[in-house]
Amino acid sequence: MMEEKNVTLFDVIFKGNDAVYGLTEKAIDDAIAQYGADKAVAFPDTAYSLPCYYGVTGTKVGNLGELKTALGVVKSLMTRNPRLNDAFMSGIATALCAEFIEVLKYVDNAAPYSEPCYGHLADAVIRELGVPLVTGDIPGVAVILGAAPTAEEGVALVKSYQAQGILVTLVGGIIDQCEELGYKTGANVRVIPLGKDVTAVIHVVSVAVRAALIFGNITPGDSAGLMKYTMERVPAFVNAFAPLDEVIVAAGAGAIALGFPVITNEETFRVPKSLIVQPDVSKFNATSLEARDIKIKITNIDIPVAFASAFEGEIIRRGDMQVEFDGSRVDCFELVHTKELSEVEDHKIEVIGPDIDEFEVGSKHSIGYIVEVAGKSMQSDFEPVFERKFHSYLNCVEGMMHTGQRDMIRIRISKDTFNAGFRVKHIGEVLYAKVKSEFAAVVDKCQVKVITDPEMCTKLRHELAIPMFDKRDERLTTLTDEGVDVYYSCIMCQAFSPSHVCVVTPERLGLCGAVSWLDAKATNELDPQGPCQVITKEKVIDERIGEYEDVNEAVRKFSQGALEDVSLYSIIEKPMTSCGCFECICGIEPLSNGVCIANREYAGMTPIGMTFSELASMTGGGVQTPGFMGHGKHFISSKKFMKAEGGIARIVWMPKDLKDQVAERLNESAKELYGIDNFTDMIADETVVTEDPEALLAFLTEKGHPALEMEPMM
Amino acid sequence: MGDFKLTTIEEFEAATNRLLETGAKVGADAYQFRVKNQTPHCKFGEQGVCCRICSMGPCRITPKAPRGICGCDAHGIVGRNFLRFTAGGAATHSDHGREICHTLYCSSPDGNYKVKDPEKLIRIAHEWGVETEGKDIYDLAHEMAVLALGEYGKVFGFQNFLKRAPQHTQELWEKAEIQPRAIDREVSCAMHMTHMGCSSKPEALIRQSLRAGLADGWGGSMAGTEFSDVLFGTPKPVDTEANLGVMVEENVNIVVHGHDPSLSEMICEYADDPEMIAYAKEMGAKGITVSGVCCTSNEVAMRRGIPMAGNFLQQENVVLTGACEAIVVDVQCIFPALGPLAKCFHTKFVTTSPIAQMPESDYIRFSPENAGENAKAIVKMAIENFKNRKPELVHIPKMKQKATVGYSLEAIKKTLDGVTNSQVDETGTLKPLVECINSGVIRGAVAMVGCNNPKVRPDTAHIGLMKKLIENDIIVVASGCSAQAAARAGLMDKRAKDLCGAGLKRVCELADIPPVLHMGSCVDISRMMVLVADLAKDSGWNISQLPVVGCAPEWMSEKAVSIGNYVVATGLDTFLGVDPYAAGSSEVEDLLQGGIRDWVEACYTVETDIEKLVDKMIERIEEKRTALGI
Repeated sequence: MMEEKNVTLFDVIFKGNDAVYGLTEKAIDDAIAQYGADKAVAFPDTAYSLPCYYGVTGTKVGNLGELKTALGVVKSLMTRNPRLNDAFMSGIATALCAEFIEVLKYVDNAAPYSEPCYGHLADAVIRELGVPLVTGDIPGVAVILGAAPTAEEGVALVKSYQAQGILVTLVGGIIDQCEELGYKTGANVRVIPLGKDVTAVIHVVSVAVRAALIFGNITPGDSAGLMKYTMERVPAFVNAFAPLDEVIVAAGAGAIALGFPVITNEETFRVPKSLIVQPDVSKFNATSLEARDIKIKITNIDIPVAFASAFEGEIIRRGDMQVEFDGSRVDCFELVHTKELSEVEDHKIEVIGPDIDEFEVGSKHSIGYIVEVAGKSMQSDFEPVFERKFHSYLNCVEGMMHTGQRDMIRIRISKDTFNAGFRVKHIGEVLYAKVKSEFAAVVDKCQVKVITDPEMCTKLRHELAIPMFDKRDERLTTLTDEGVDVYYSCIMCQAFSPSHVCVVTPERLGLCGAVSWLDAKATNELDPQGPCQVITKEKVIDERIGEYEDVNEAVRKFSQGALEDVSLYSIIEKPMTSCGCFECICGIEPLSNGVCIANREYAGMTPIGMTFSELASMTGGGVQTPGFMGHGKHFISSKKFMKAEGGIARIVWMPKDLKDQVAERLNESAKELYGIDNFTDMIADETVVTEDPEALLAFLTEKGHPALEMEPMM
Repeated sequence: MGDFKLTTIEEFEAATNRLLETGAKVGADAYQFRVKNQTPHCKFGEQGVCCRICSMGPCRITPKAPRGICGCDAHGIVGRNFLRFTAGGAATHSDHGREICHTLYCSSPDGNYKVKDPEKLIRIAHEWGVETEGKDIYDLAHEMAVLALGEYGKVFGFQNFLKRAPQHTQELWEKAEIQPRAIDREVSCAMHMTHMGCSSKPEALIRQSLRAGLADGWGGSMAGTEFSDVLFGTPKPVDTEANLGVMVEENVNIVVHGHDPSLSEMICEYADDPEMIAYAKEMGAKGITVSGVCCTSNEVAMRRGIPMAGNFLQQENVVLTGACEAIVVDVQCIFPALGPLAKCFHTKFVTTSPIAQMPESDYIRFSPENAGENAKAIVKMAIENFKNRKPELVHIPKMKQKATVGYSLEAIKKTLDGVTNSQVDETGTLKPLVECINSGVIRGAVAMVGCNNPKVRPDTAHIGLMKKLIENDIIVVASGCSAQAAARAGLMDKRAKDLCGAGLKRVCELADIPPVLHMGSCVDISRMMVLVADLAKDSGWNISQLPVVGCAPEWMSEKAVSIGNYVVATGLDTFLGVDPYAAGSSEVEDLLQGGIRDWVEACYTVETDIEKLVDKMIERIEEKRTALGI
């Protein structure tokens, strides 16, 4: 573009914006001609209408007529003074036009995108991304646009980000290049092809915008706040391959306005930290990370395959499997065991039994691994905290799948990984490296024993592991809110949700489900200045709703004054806030005098008349919303679950999947609290009733649900 | 944006009025009253058509008397006056530079003055072709000092620092025959040319004005800046505060005023001395606060974060607070009014330089040899004076703003390194700034300089212009009293980014800078010259093609005219808000505002309507962009 005399960067942006605007106007007019102005337009599975337009203007668009009106608003952004503000606004206008073009694809077509492309991403996907983004498990979001000079270079770039745990979204030619080389894509491996038209890029912008609305409590229409949020808190960047046309440059201006740098191999204008020309595609990765100030936590693990959080969701199918260890059929276990310093030889990896190459392809075996740790500040209370992380550690190994915990684990190792040289000792290497690096503050020495000898596994499972698990469970039952002296704050999410504070108690884990009281305690020990701080609970204000003066003081301090006071056990009076990454959300269903709970994975309707997404959009962003509360799955069976309103007896509805997951412990609690057997049978689910409150009431009456007898909640 | 808000001119004025009430109680005089007594000003003087160079006159030109007794017309008289004005300024700045070179010569490892930036000394030595290998840094310092002092009287050749300019600029200078020779020679030559019976041809007089200006900017001033950095450290970003509210009522307040950092550095050193602080406490104060006025304040703010009490027209106000134990001055821009004013309060008015001796002051003569003990004696004197305060007269206006200052060229490059990408960019250049300008993210830059002048409502022009410039994505580099106006208003607070257009705002965020960069004292305008020289080299454009202009909206001193001449002669269009006594000659005016463009590719614009002035600057910047096709 530099060769063309007297064409400025802003001219190119304005021209690209005008072109897209023209296309959009025509597309909307055509659609109106075809369907009429009253025809509904919407993206599926979102409570945020057209999220980008809603975020920027605060206005929801429901039909084609409104879309046409919205286009008029977009036009008003398209001013033409030679100033960056005008270029930014034209970039935003270009993005909004892209959103309009994309939403038209969903008119009369629930699934306009087909494999491997995703198109619009559901709200649930964003909520799932929340925790890994704040913990740095996903250190960044790459948006790759266009075709690399060769398919090999394109795939190598995708792979390089994936190996760093970066979420990769693909638009245009790069998708074909991945397909051409048979490179696996999909949300489970964090490589998401969005669509092949350039307008599909809006689906990742939409994620960033919704992150601001969900986690940042940005008011829809506060475009300045929105842009500040995305710039400061969403670590995204764009890799745009040459050739860049005006439309891509205009869209790039939108990305830069949101704070996302664009790295390209096309010779064009340069703007520091914003528009960077890197002719060498093999250096895109390093250039991009530096431009967006993304730091990758490097753990050097001596294994023959990649290790990255991107592989966490990878699934190994039977046909791809070299070998399997299955705790449901044979004796398996995983265990962290605290030892004396003199008993542990650091970095000793011991393999007891045959190695994988001695097993037949596709066969099933026993495995047990004991991570023995020692350290001056080590406490046995931390053992389960470390142990719970094994699932994520082992899943991060490319071509390895781990499910379950304790003595109910299952591990699969793929043929590719085996062929790359992966052996049993490498499991030890992974566990050693991660435990040593992540818990360095308390673990001075660490050694790992990996046992594949079946007899030895059986013996150790019954004589060592199970007694230890039992002992821990016993300790856990004594861990009640009343039984401890302190609670912990957790503000891990504040990078994302600046005014939210979780108060973590033994009977109420963090709403994301990832931080229990023990986790918080360990986190505090590991990093005393870190996200989890001790909160005393000496000055009771109201025992019934669980309100304490010291807790309130802490919440005020950690929310920088955004939050005044919270209760621990009520969803009506001063309920605890949510960041937006909650596993579940419960809300009052007035007719039945109870609450419905929906989990993130549940996409359907609830008797409250709202989907999970819609319920979730009522809360989040660190705001108190009486009657609605985000929480973790495990909290459902807690005796403190909305204790102030009468406890778990208020639960009248939840999706079947969720019910199955919590049934055992929930029934136990109900038995203990009210003497009710099989309480979950009294709770309705979507197989009985989806959205009709009258039908729900009828079901509850038939089952004699205790909520019907309770005092009115409001 | 939180609680950040600029301080308004009205708030400045309300504070001044409140202080004048204190003044009225003690019968103090103030410049505001003297301005009234002096208005209307002499029209002949304003037009520049009064000649009193010989004793046949004074002659003044009117339609009826179009020539002086010697036959010189208005053009000759205006031209001569303009050149003499320039020579005064060039001499002043350059003599300040000479003092610094002398101080460098006196530096020693265990003396009062040390070499704080040896790297910079070595860099300049290499530039000048001086061998540094294996030399003791103080031997090198002394050798360089002698060479630098030699620049003032060098027998042959031109100023050493000219080589820093881009080739094209050097060629222009050569062609126009305005490359400065020895600094003193250009001043002498100016005096000679303007003597009775020498030059009366405007073209020759203006040419020498540019040459004398260049001797200042690329000679004496540059030596002053560069060797001050060697002695006291090259400034880097530092947080400080500005406006009268930096004075602390419970503390002993020492105000440094003037231009030469050799004095103020020593005062700061001793005010920080635990022994002195203990002594202050013994005397009933809580501590010692040093703050500054004028350019010596800029010097210590840039290097030490010493707060800035105010600029030129605030100098009487610091005494009117009734809380100033001592106002310690060196050279330039010091009101003789301070002597009588200090007498109305307990304040000690301490003069220190043989260059600036004034009645009704305590004269404590400073030299490199006795600087330490004298500074200590002055600090002590101030401490002992604390008890003499008249509590009923004490009132310090509570206003102050935060400021990040210290943007030497080296610091600017270092800051820009922070936005480079090590995968594609080199560091230590101005290229990131060039890229911002080329892409249009930043439209251009304005060098805001100069004084206050009661002819302009104080600080309105500085602050008003800067606000409009940054709104238009034009970055401002400021020095001298202009920089202090910006700091006092809050424009050097990083939060002022929110007052910028989207482009400059983004740059401020990414580079973590305020939108108005403090580049130092008035001598430090030489830094701006090297900045544009490097900008030209890094962009491949000529200096005159850069969308960069200079502006002195409230200037008053001879130094300012000298500065204007070297800025224009370097290739930057320069915008003045106060007329340079040249209106009496159409020929001189035409040269200054047009003709000199043929020699140096830039000229002056004089516009006393401040609104129009800023619009003209923005227009000029956009014209330059269009010409470049960016």
